[in-house]
Amino acid sequence: MNKPKNTLTSGFLGDNTVLSGLMVISPVIMCGDTLKNALALVYAFSLITFFSVMISSFVPKRLPYAVKIIIYAVISALIYIPVKLLAQEIYPEAIGRTGIYFPLLAVNSLIVHQTEAKFFRMRKLEMTGSLVFYILGFDAVMLLTGVIRELFAYGTVYNRMVDMNTLISGIAQPFGGFIFLGLLCGIYRKIRSMAAANENAEKEAENVSDN
Amino acid sequence: MLKKIKSERYVWIDVTFTLLALELMAYFYYGIRTLVTAGICIAVSLIAELIFLRFTHRKFTADDLTCTSDALIAALMVPAVIDYKIPAIACVFAVIAAKNIFGGRRNMIFSPAAVAYVFILASWKKELLSYPAPHDKADILDSAAELTNSATYVFNHTGSMNYTDFELLLGNFSGPIGAVSILLLIVAAVILILRRDISWGAFVGTVAGTGFMAYFCPIASNSILSVKYVFATNMILFAAIYIISDLRIAPKRNYYAFFYGFFIAISSYVLMITTGQENIIVIMSVLFTPLSLAFKNLQKRIDNEKLLEAEAAAEAVLEAEVTAAEEAVAETEDKADIEAVETEGTENSEEEVSEEEAISSDDESEEAEAVTEEVPSDTETEQEEPAAEEEKAEGDDSDE
Amino acid sequence: MFLITELIALLAANLILMQALGTSTLFIAAGSSRNLIGTASVITVFTTAGSAAAYLINRFTGQKYSDFLLLFYVLAVGILYIILLAVFYLAGKNKFEQSRKYIHISAYNCAVMGTIFTISDKAGLSAENFSLLDYVTCGFEAGIGFILAAFILTAAYRKLNSSKVPSSFRGFPAMLVYLGIISMAVYSLK
Repeated sequence: MNKPKNTLTSGFLGDNTVLSGLMVISPVIMCGDTLKNALALVYAFSLITFFSVMISSFVPKRLPYAVKIIIYAVISALIYIPVKLLAQEIYPEAIGRTGIYFPLLAVNSLIVHQTEAKFFRMRKLEMTGSLVFYILGFDAVMLLTGVIRELFAYGTVYNRMVDMNTLISGIAQPFGGFIFLGLLCGIYRKIRSMAAANENAEKEAENVSDN
Repeated sequence: MLKKIKSERYVWIDVTFTLLALELMAYFYYGIRTLVTAGICIAVSLIAELIFLRFTHRKFTADDLTCTSDALIAALMVPAVIDYKIPAIACVFAVIAAKNIFGGRRNMIFSPAAVAYVFILASWKKELLSYPAPHDKADILDSAAELTNSATYVFNHTGSMNYTDFELLLGNFSGPIGAVSILLLIVAAVILILRRDISWGAFVGTVAGTGFMAYFCPIASNSILSVKYVFATNMILFAAIYIISDLRIAPKRNYYAFFYGFFIAISSYVLMITTGQENIIVIMSVLFTPLSLAFKNLQKRIDNEKLLEAEAAAEAVLEAEVTAAEEAVAETEDKADIEAVETEGTENSEEEVSEEEAISSDDESEEAEAVTEEVPSDTETEQEEPAAEEEKAEGDDSDE
Repeated sequence: MFLITELIALLAANLILMQALGTSTLFIAAGSSRNLIGTASVITVFTTAGSAAAYLINRFTGQKYSDFLLLFYVLAVGILYIILLAVFYLAGKNKFEQSRKYIHISAYNCAVMGTIFTISDKAGLSAENFSLLDYVTCGFEAGIGFILAAFILTAAYRKLNSSKVPSSFRGFPAMLVYLGIISMAVYSLK
């Protein structure tokens, strides 16, 4: 009973898109310096990825790999158009700030490579659930990065001043993004290994009590 | 092993003594604030080191005290009146991100002090590059009345300096607190080179590269003045001693270390004259870390090849010996056969031959055992890192 | 002198160190010298040819179809993708088998798409008219930048994957921090 549940939600924690798979990291490093940017990217990533993968799942499996990849990318680029038009209404400033990283979300590895390697090997319902958790996994990391980097670099959260008397401006720069993500990735791995150790200990205890 | 541990500690003690001398000079020029800054940096680095070692379930040993000398180097590269929080944050960053994440002192990639400096430069450039004048002493909680550009900045932009040689030697000009005392730095360099605490190849390479460039592409009005002023400014000597020649970072062989230092010096000088930026040698030392690592890899590969050649030669000698023994046995067998045929064989002669065979085969197996015992031990020591990589793969798997 | 300043300029405009484009691919490429050469070469081909295609697209579509720009670029890269596969297929089965994976990895890579967008943005902002040669040069430089970053990572690869590195940070996290520190040094040169 536990296994399908684990597979479904693993995209959020156990196999996080950014921290575990190291996919879609360039927008996190470059644009995850404020919560506003993070929100705009979360919106675009979630919509583009969800609809692209769902529509791409109807592409015939018999086609050659390269042709399928091109079709997925074209579908994604088509979905990007309405998403961008909508974003211009909701997040007018963010599109300018995120620059080239906004369209780049449309060719992220979750759509281009993971569809074939992971999602299309699942049943439709299972795939939908799993995809949602993978997207949520990215969203969570993006928002967390946005909040922390904005707080330490600018002393604000969502452009509201917070009482910080020492600011580290470098954390908003690309190098700050690299280092912050590296640290976050290490902490995530540590927590995951600790959780796995606890789980194993519990299982062993259960086995002992059963015996 | 014990020798290695001891030498590491001795290096730390020697380096710390020379740094304390520079710190004392800084106290003389800028007052108590320099001591407090150094104290804060050391304390914060030590705490960060302790916490990280605990986090990774490692024991704190006397060798881990090297973090204090790194902190002291970082403290000597900042202005006397810098906000205490800035070097403290930089030291925490250096200890965690530039050192312990890569495995601490056992697997050093960057010089922690250089990374701390570059981190401050990237985040608090204005605070880092504004200096008080010498003898403008500030109290613990005070800040200096007036901050100016460093003598380095003036030299890089105008090509001239208004200081006497005596002032230059004693460090009586504005700049990073520990990097201006030229006389002390020369003495420190001599002591550390003689005591083999720094890589003399890297040091000579840096000095030669800078001297060469300063002489042939002078910033000042003439070549001699240019050489003199370049060595007195831009933290050249300080970085050459404590950052580039750091034994943990520089390539082990002096031949490679020389070129490592030389390339850093030349590229720093070129950037210095094209951009006018101050203390660029520290940034370049971080940027050239991959070169040092590449030299180390090359050195390891050459050593491995030499070892393989030696092993192959040893094997060839052994094979020759074995074939000689085999031939000898075959000859004895033939002789015995001939004798047996000739004399129609006696029981005694057959026994002798079989004994000889037994002896020779015993010798062979003993030698083969000896070889098999020797080879793995060599392989283990020389191939420590590939084995480590295998462990890593296992570790990663378990991690996943 | 010229060589050093050019090298620093290449680092300062590096698509990985300064724009974090294609970082995940770099981690794969740095693993072995064969992967490094294969991936870097294919990415350079894509960035160079992709930039030439971007020139043609920008020239013929203009501002009017700016919302469709991504679609056009995707189609152009798709065509290059097929052409490259076809070329290697015709060159021989062995060559095709060896290079196929690098082409698949590189085609819709952030490094390639990001380079095309960066050059287009640069051309849009520039007062002078960017010629085809400018586009191609920028695309080629981006590929060389990728190779440079890959060499920087390759030099430390063994150390970053050593058993001495804490298991939580071994591999990718250590690589990210390493690249971050190098990127910080490049940033400080500005």
